[in-house]
Amino acid sequence: MIVTRSWLNEWIDLRGITTEDLAKTFNSIGLEVDRIHSYEIPKKIIVGKVLECEKHPDADKLNVCKVDIGTSIRQIVCGASNVREGLDVAVATIGAVMPGGTVIKPVKLRGVESEGMICSASEIGLEECQNGIIELDDSIGKYEIGQEVCTLATFSDDLIEIELTANRGDCLSIRGVARDLSAAYDRPIKETNINEDEDRRVGIGRILSLSHENGLDVNLRYRAVDLKNLTLPFIVRLRLAQIEDTRETDIEALMLYVTHSSGVILRAYNYGFFCGENETMAKVELKKDENGYASIISNEKASTVGIIQEDASKVTYDEGTVLIEASYIPPDIISKKMQESKMESGPMYYRTSRGSEPELNQGLNFCLNMIESNSNSSVFGGTIELCDSYEDKIVSVTKKEIDEIIGAEIDKVKITKILRNLGFGTTKSSSENFVISVPRYRHDITHKQDIVEEIVRLVGIDNIPSKPFIFAESSKLEDDYFEYKKRTIYRHKAAQSGFFENLAFVFDEKKVLNGYGFNTTEEELELLNPIVNTFDTLRPTLMTGLLKAASHNIKNGIVSVKLFEVGSIFNPKRDESLKISFLFSGDTHKESLANAGKPQKVDFALFTQKISDVIGEFELRQYETSHTLSHVYQCAELLQNGEVIGELFRVHPSVEESYGLEATYMCELDFVKLSYGLKIAKKSSKYQASFRDLSIIMPEVMSYEKVKGVIEAHATQELIRFYPVDKYRDESLGENMSLSIRFVLQSFDKTLEEDDITSSMDAILEALNSELGIGLR
Amino acid sequence: MKEWYDKIKEAQSVENLEEIRISVFGKKGVLAAEFAKMKTAPNEEKSKIAKELNTHKSSLMNEMTARKITLQTQELKEAMKAESIDVSMFSVSSEAGALHPVMETMDRIVEYFSAMNFAVKTGNMVEDDFNNFEALNLPKYHPARDMQDTFYFKDEMLLRTHTSPVQIRTMMSHKPPIRMIAPGAVFRRDYDLTHTPMFHQVEGLLVDDAGKVSFANLKYILEDFLKYMFGDVEVRFRPSFFPFTEPSAEVDISCVFCKGEGCRVCSKTGWLEVLGCGIVDPNVFKAVNYKDVSGYAFGLGVERFAMLIHHIGDLRSLFEGDIKLLEQFQ
Repeated sequence: MIVTRSWLNEWIDLRGITTEDLAKTFNSIGLEVDRIHSYEIPKKIIVGKVLECEKHPDADKLNVCKVDIGTSIRQIVCGASNVREGLDVAVATIGAVMPGGTVIKPVKLRGVESEGMICSASEIGLEECQNGIIELDDSIGKYEIGQEVCTLATFSDDLIEIELTANRGDCLSIRGVARDLSAAYDRPIKETNINEDEDRRVGIGRILSLSHENGLDVNLRYRAVDLKNLTLPFIVRLRLAQIEDTRETDIEALMLYVTHSSGVILRAYNYGFFCGENETMAKVELKKDENGYASIISNEKASTVGIIQEDASKVTYDEGTVLIEASYIPPDIISKKMQESKMESGPMYYRTSRGSEPELNQGLNFCLNMIESNSNSSVFGGTIELCDSYEDKIVSVTKKEIDEIIGAEIDKVKITKILRNLGFGTTKSSSENFVISVPRYRHDITHKQDIVEEIVRLVGIDNIPSKPFIFAESSKLEDDYFEYKKRTIYRHKAAQSGFFENLAFVFDEKKVLNGYGFNTTEEELELLNPIVNTFDTLRPTLMTGLLKAASHNIKNGIVSVKLFEVGSIFNPKRDESLKISFLFSGDTHKESLANAGKPQKVDFALFTQKISDVIGEFELRQYETSHTLSHVYQCAELLQNGEVIGELFRVHPSVEESYGLEATYMCELDFVKLSYGLKIAKKSSKYQASFRDLSIIMPEVMSYEKVKGVIEAHATQELIRFYPVDKYRDESLGENMSLSIRFVLQSFDKTLEEDDITSSMDAILEALNSELGIGLR
Repeated sequence: MKEWYDKIKEAQSVENLEEIRISVFGKKGVLAAEFAKMKTAPNEEKSKIAKELNTHKSSLMNEMTARKITLQTQELKEAMKAESIDVSMFSVSSEAGALHPVMETMDRIVEYFSAMNFAVKTGNMVEDDFNNFEALNLPKYHPARDMQDTFYFKDEMLLRTHTSPVQIRTMMSHKPPIRMIAPGAVFRRDYDLTHTPMFHQVEGLLVDDAGKVSFANLKYILEDFLKYMFGDVEVRFRPSFFPFTEPSAEVDISCVFCKGEGCRVCSKTGWLEVLGCGIVDPNVFKAVNYKDVSGYAFGLGVERFAMLIHHIGDLRSLFEGDIKLLEQFQ
């Protein structure tokens, strides 16, 4: 909603209030100021009168004018097509500095002297509002030839753009905004009272009849006018340019101007549209159309109330009879209807759906007054109307309730004053109870808290003292909190282990995901209105997001990419679950002296080490993923405490290539399956541990898992740990390799002796030999 | 004897000194020779000679020890010098990872409200119309639904446009009093320089007996919270409108970039909008079947907080896993 100071001033006296103060007030009463613009018209731009206007002898498009600028008469060459004798214009005189910085000097144009410039609106820093030069008229108030333009209030104006919340349709007009200011400043609103001399007019009843269906919840009022020589006043053109709105014809522009001023929805109709052939009486019918919308109909539909006017019923002529309609339809009815069966809407729908001004005469009289004073038209007397009987809503609220919601004592007199200035009726049934009648234009006010809101915003929230809330002690450490805490702990561990936290949208591309073998959301549960086709489904994995981020980083010149994300994924049934995923790509470390500038590339061993830094001990088992992101021979399922919690693998070389990555490793785990809780300390032995290394010759294709299984099955209780430390092969070994396994033995009772260790090792070797046929070198 | 004092003083290494020691104190050394001479000396001089020699012996020994310490210290110094490195070459950057600034900001927000005895509640991203809109006093035809362009699914479910459905679900399953926050991802169908289709919110709700919770209480906690998050800023409340609260307000802080002077970030206003809040609308309580209660609610966008706190200019860079950005938070 755009307002200007001079425009507001037509409805409320703003003398003594600076624009800065006005903006502050708007903000504090809930009309948020988006933008303030002050027009600064340069000095030495003077109101002049064109006394003579003749064609330039050597240029078709130029005119040579004699212009009275009060103190003297100047010869000025002007190129505008609308320059003519008798016009009052804005003249930039010699020495004027234009907004672009140009200084006006005497010049010769095609051999003719020119002492100044007749200006268009944009040339003096206003919005462009008519073709060619400004044509001044008394719509801007009194002015004199020779007066500086910057001393006229309409020109040296301030524009304020307000962002209105959806409930405040009543402020979609200058009058509505003025009404709120009236309550804020406790100044009266200026109502225009137009006294009509009805007697000398022809009654509208002679040319128009109205019939209607019942129960349409619409208020309509018609007037008629014989239009002749309408000229749109300068101020209307200027202000419509300021609110960045235009209409095709002058009569429609005028309707828009009146609507923006008064809030009343107005339409101008082609009178002939409603007259049958050879008929002199127009018939207007109000009835439901096929979709149930209240519509104005003659033979064909002329308009849908509150929504759109059909082109055929618009006024396309400058002279002839015009019907002016003011309408009101409750906003909830129209937006509900629109929700049920959507139809194309016109530019006024925004206002009607948010609540336009129900007091129709306000706009209608204003409109006809403007037509009469800017044309030779004659207005028909009387109105034809259809008005429902509306009773104001009553809301009662006690002072105690008001004080409790606000948390401070508000003075009773102040409350009454605020409500009255906003147009509410107040009576007190007792000294502590307010009975409030709500004006129709405040459709947003239905219960007590709405009334309190009005009081809060006009008292000013800054004037309410803050107060701590006193509450009873209670523990808030519940499941969701622990889950959040668990996330925080794992995220911190991941970051400390060198991974950067990634944050990706939960959207992903169906085609790509399906290509990698992921099952995406079932068709009947799929997103209806994705924002772009690369985000057309919910992600079933975090891994593609990590790959994209890795690719982005590699392109940015990062050579070592370590990322993780904790986030939600969705199965085909659209059930949500939490995963944690890791990606490690490229160099193990940054280039540094420590690695002579040649850091190694990440490998399977390092990646698993990094993951265990985050999640603790785990086991890996040979595995085949259900998707095709993984390297077929470097792929594992990951187990913790005997339970499968996810997968870990090298990325398939062709996937690496398509993302522009070097060797890349990934891991995705079910977050809920990660351990979280208190650890139990195990008893540890006070005796020294002993170490034995065995180098086992075994077929290269044999899985370590098998070896591990046999060792575990035959281990004595002194064997507390064993792990592979070296893998060796050469040609002499053929298809075998040598795997060195380190055994750690320790007893709770004594320091182990050589015999104990040997017998322990022998048992294992025997089992390996008998069960797998493998043994020492 | 004199010459040996000089020799000890001039010794250039521990080995050299050791040679001197042997020459002086060894079995065939100078001192031994001198003591041997004593046998032939007249008896009356013997004790004098012996005394002199013993004095020399202990002096030389002292000299020797002193010189040895000097030489050892010097040699250690030289050995260390040989190991010298240019430490300036080792100014390395961290190899640690980092938390995402948005998540880290969310953690700080959660930390504040946990300390204020708010429970943390989470919920699903896929929601239904009732929990996301209807129960929040946003009937289907409500114009405020325009403000939240929604992602719908083919079965009429939707992606939550705010975390408020978590509050509805909490109220439906718990009796009052309630003190909770709901942190999490939310979705709006908007994608440009200043909007992403997914972002994060933290919303708070407090419900207690009727007449107990006031706007003044809301003001208190939000002023305190914003000072905790942003440091020494001014806080301003502007009346506003949300369907689920009444009275409602938007909360601004003085611009953290220009200290309220007016700059590009705050559009020359000196203020930055950071929060929405209000007293819970009775229609919301009606929808969850709460009677005789009062409450306040508030909501904020985590990305906006993170951007303002860390002076991050580009919203979209937050969703690219950009290590150049992230490594600044190590």
